[in-house]
Amino acid sequence: MNIWLLAAVGVSASLVPCADMCLRGTPERRLVGLEMGSLIVTLALVLFAIGFGRTLFVDMPLAQALMSFGGGLVFARFLGKHL
Amino acid sequence: MTAYVAEVALLTVVVLLCWLGVLGMWRMKEPTQALHYLSLPATAGAILLTIAVLIAQGPRQTFWKVALITLILLLTNSVVAHATARAFRERKLGHWEPREGDPMEIVREENTP
Repeated sequence: MNIWLLAAVGVSASLVPCADMCLRGTPERRLVGLEMGSLIVTLALVLFAIGFGRTLFVDMPLAQALMSFGGGLVFARFLGKHL
Repeated sequence: MTAYVAEVALLTVVVLLCWLGVLGMWRMKEPTQALHYLSLPATAGAILLTIAVLIAQGPRQTFWKVALITLILLLTNSVVAHATARAFRERKLGHWEPREGDPMEIVREENTP
């Protein structure tokens, strides 16, 4: 296990508090947990791709970063208007 | 050897920043306060990760992709945080523009001429 994979595991472990926020509490707190979770997943995917030596897979966090932007806006809009 | 030490140091700081952001967010009671902690991994964490990739891989395609991810995170994080805070306010008050009688805290410095 190289240093990149160790960092990836360390970053991925921080998804546990994000999951706790997503699963409990008010809708506002859940949304913040979701946004932090998508951010952490983006960084973890970069670390995993480099750690496993599959640098082509860096496209996945690139797509994740773009999609989480749209997803965050949609959820925020939905929360403000309809929920 | 120096490059490896720099990589280890940078990645350690990235992990610490992620944990600091997540724990700060987790501890805050108000969702608007928790929203501020998104910026730690999105700005400093992503920039330091890009520098670590540059040191490890050199200015190759992977580095440019990670730099693009960092740029996207830097640009979009502020927009998403603003839209989310606006949605919180809209949900609470029914509107987001400041109106007469809204519970707004106005801070003025005393002893200013």
